[in-house]
Amino acid sequence: MKNKTTRLLTISLIGVALLCVCVFSFLAIHMSAQSAKTINEVGTLYMSTMSRQTSIHFDSIITLRMDQLDVLVGTVPADKVHTDQDARDELIKDGRSRDFDCLAFYKTDGTFEMLYGSELTLSDPEPFLDSLRKGENKVTVGINAEGEKVVLLGVPSSHSSAEEYPCAGLVAGLPVSYISEHLSLDENNDRVYSFIIRRDGSFVLRTADAYGNSYFERARTLYDNVSGMTPDQYIEALSGAMEREENYTTEVTMKDGERYHLYCTSLPYSEWHLITFMPYGSVDAIVSSFGREWGSLTILSGLIVLSALLLVFFKYFGITRQQLREVENARAAAEEARKEAEHANRAKSEFLSNMSHDIRTPMNAIVGMTAIATANIDDTQQVKHCLKKITLSSKHLLGLINDVLDMSKIESGKMTLNPDQVSLREVVDGIVSICQPQVRAKRQQFDVFIHDISTENVICDSVRLNQVLINLLSNAIKFTPEGGEIRMALYEEPSPRGDSYVRIHVQVKDTGIGMSEEFQKHIFDSFAREDSARVHRTEGTGLGMAITKFIVVDAMGGTIDVNSRQGRGTEFNVTLDLEKAEVMEEDMILPNWDMLVVDDDRQLCESTASALRSIGVNAEWTLDGESAVEMVVKRHHRGDDYEIILLDWKLPGIDGIATARRIRQELGDTVPILLISAYDWGEIEHDAKAAGITGFISKPLFRSTLFNSLRQFAGIEAAPEAPEVVADKGRDLTGKRILLAEDNELNWEIASELLSAEGLELEWAENGEICVKKFQQSPAGFYDAILMDIRMPVMGGYEATQVIRTLERPDRDLPIIAMTADAFAEDVRRSLECGMNAHVAKPIDVQEVMRLLEKYIK
Amino acid sequence: MTLKECYTALGGDYDEVMGRLRSERLVQKFVLKFLNDGSYQLLCDSLAAGDREEAFRAAHTIKGVCANLAFNTLLESAEALTEALRDGKPPEAGEEALVARVKEDYRRTRQAIEAFQEGAGG
Repeated sequence: MKNKTTRLLTISLIGVALLCVCVFSFLAIHMSAQSAKTINEVGTLYMSTMSRQTSIHFDSIITLRMDQLDVLVGTVPADKVHTDQDARDELIKDGRSRDFDCLAFYKTDGTFEMLYGSELTLSDPEPFLDSLRKGENKVTVGINAEGEKVVLLGVPSSHSSAEEYPCAGLVAGLPVSYISEHLSLDENNDRVYSFIIRRDGSFVLRTADAYGNSYFERARTLYDNVSGMTPDQYIEALSGAMEREENYTTEVTMKDGERYHLYCTSLPYSEWHLITFMPYGSVDAIVSSFGREWGSLTILSGLIVLSALLLVFFKYFGITRQQLREVENARAAAEEARKEAEHANRAKSEFLSNMSHDIRTPMNAIVGMTAIATANIDDTQQVKHCLKKITLSSKHLLGLINDVLDMSKIESGKMTLNPDQVSLREVVDGIVSICQPQVRAKRQQFDVFIHDISTENVICDSVRLNQVLINLLSNAIKFTPEGGEIRMALYEEPSPRGDSYVRIHVQVKDTGIGMSEEFQKHIFDSFAREDSARVHRTEGTGLGMAITKFIVVDAMGGTIDVNSRQGRGTEFNVTLDLEKAEVMEEDMILPNWDMLVVDDDRQLCESTASALRSIGVNAEWTLDGESAVEMVVKRHHRGDDYEIILLDWKLPGIDGIATARRIRQELGDTVPILLISAYDWGEIEHDAKAAGITGFISKPLFRSTLFNSLRQFAGIEAAPEAPEVVADKGRDLTGKRILLAEDNELNWEIASELLSAEGLELEWAENGEICVKKFQQSPAGFYDAILMDIRMPVMGGYEATQVIRTLERPDRDLPIIAMTADAFAEDVRRSLECGMNAHVAKPIDVQEVMRLLEKYIK
Repeated sequence: MTLKECYTALGGDYDEVMGRLRSERLVQKFVLKFLNDGSYQLLCDSLAAGDREEAFRAAHTIKGVCANLAFNTLLESAEALTEALRDGKPPEAGEEALVARVKEDYRRTRQAIEAFQEGAGG
């Protein structure tokens, strides 16, 4: 398309350019031809006018002179000329006074009778004499005694002479120069010149530079051509014209290339013809300078039009190319978008097909197991088995659905965190116990390491944190073959966010199948699941990592990295900056014991020893059972036994149980030996007890884990689990007046019945509006708290709380506790946002309600 | 028919409700009062009138009452219907089925309680 357009443009450009050149060339040629014609016409006009002028001038000069001569003739009586010397003298005097060179009588025999001047000879006497005889004036040329040419004017007269031949006329001579000067034959302009010739071509008058006697001769030698004729043809034509007394005009090209206009006309009183030449150049210069101007103007306009065309062409070309580029770009973008949409679509279809497969699998199990159970309804064992399977499948199904719901929440931007005080120890403990069954089922080695965690209590959304950790761990378990190894480690370091924060690193590492580089790039995308034969069997929505990433990065502001090699394993690193919880940590101090930690992991030993030191215990450690036994025995001999020994179950060489047995043999039963294990110790409890193990301490070994497990040996009472409840146990809420907003009578009665039994006095408000009204009408401090249903007609619980909180009353901040069947995290958050103090879910839990009332009623 | 049998018949959790209310007398009192509770009628009327907001509230109340009384079967169906009606959602396919389930479960619950009522000599 691009080439086609370019070619079309180029062709049209060349075409238009050619057309321009043609038109302008034609114009130039036509103009130049036109100017040649003009020069010709102008030349001819000019020449004819000039020649006529010359001819008239000649006529007037000659006529003037003839008249003078006539007068002379008249002054002298014809018969007295010869005899009367006085008359002759008078004649001579008059002739001289009129500037005639000479004066003579011309006799019929062709001789002159000179009155004065030198002797004359006629070069062509016949026509002259004829004319005089006929009584006509005549001009001719003669030669005087000095050989100079003289123009002779003849007037007939009847002066008779004494001699035998009568007188034909009076002749007066004028110098040739007189004629040529008066006619300005060669000086009116240096380029224009004239000849006077006779019919036979001989010169009468010629300009100085002309030579020879005959014009015809000159024409033959000098002329190259005359308007296409040869000089001879021209001479013939000219002679003919002169014969007919016609004017003749033509153009002459000399052999040296010069061109002349030529004009020939006859002169009166004579046999003569005037030929005038004007060089072509004179007129030509003017016209051709005009023509040149024309020419250059033509070329210039041609160039301007051409360049304008070129400009337009290139502009258009540029625009076209740009448009093409834009179209190309738009096409590429559209293609890109199409591909993306296709990809998204494919991902969605794949997801749907995976999902429907994944959902159908547990559903089939549930349906199938239900059928089996129904068929064997009396076989309790069988039914139990089925129910177990059904429970498992249901849980799996629930997990899938929860993932999808989470993802849709994330995608619609509705996922929010509910930060609360969280104990990292409890979180990790919980996760370990959740993962243990799966780990055991796949016979994997699972270990948890806690490195110097000093801040155990942080502010975090425990549900979401759990979700992240469980996701990472269950992936590790899922993608690690039987017998593989899975490690989870927690570190702590100062947070860049300030002293009130702490940065927690979580590392989950496995020796599983790993991921391809390609897949690592997409692991956090929605619906991502590596599509290869080895992963195909593994179930999952492909949403887990996308959810994890959203929680860690977008919601909690942390980071998550993955580092994986196919066949080697995968490592996930999560960092979170968490706010430290302001809790009064128990004063964890143990007696100044000596303790031994035995574990094959150096890091665990070091971090445990350091944690123990921080709670006042001197800890030593070693990496295997044999050296442990040695150390114990050495101390025993010194009489300085360890107070407590912590022993890992799995050790190189002799294992923990064997080591314990050997220590017991050496030491007897006095020293407590605790077994460290990340596993559920139920299965080894029997062996362990038999080997003399005093008790268990389960990983992860937080400082508080160590303290709580060890203090029993120091005789410190266990701290009460829920200090508030215990502390307030004695507090009596009897007689406290509670306003209960609840639209349903039955619910009201139940709540009233249960809470009255606790000694509270209850009043019922059927909806939010009544609740507000009752509160408003009561004296300040009348009600001690409000229990508020959320969904009520007329006015709901949120609204009522907001109204109460803005009332102008001293007790407007009394405790308001939401009591509703909605127990979603969002509902809880919303009730708190509306100004409620706490939230309890229905069904009513009297213990919980009482605990909250005790907490909030001052 | 004992109260426990009645609970079994209506798909409730007797132990749970006993844990909460602590005395069989109270449980019996409230169970019988359930027959007079107007929420179910309100739900049916609102649905018939197309008032989804009111219907949501009624379903929600049924859910709350059932939770308190541990009428777990009806609780589940009422809960499902509550979620379908929440936030003024437009009707979705399957809502009919949810309504039908609530009606069926309510009928069963009511039948059981009425049977118990007769058996208890009331």
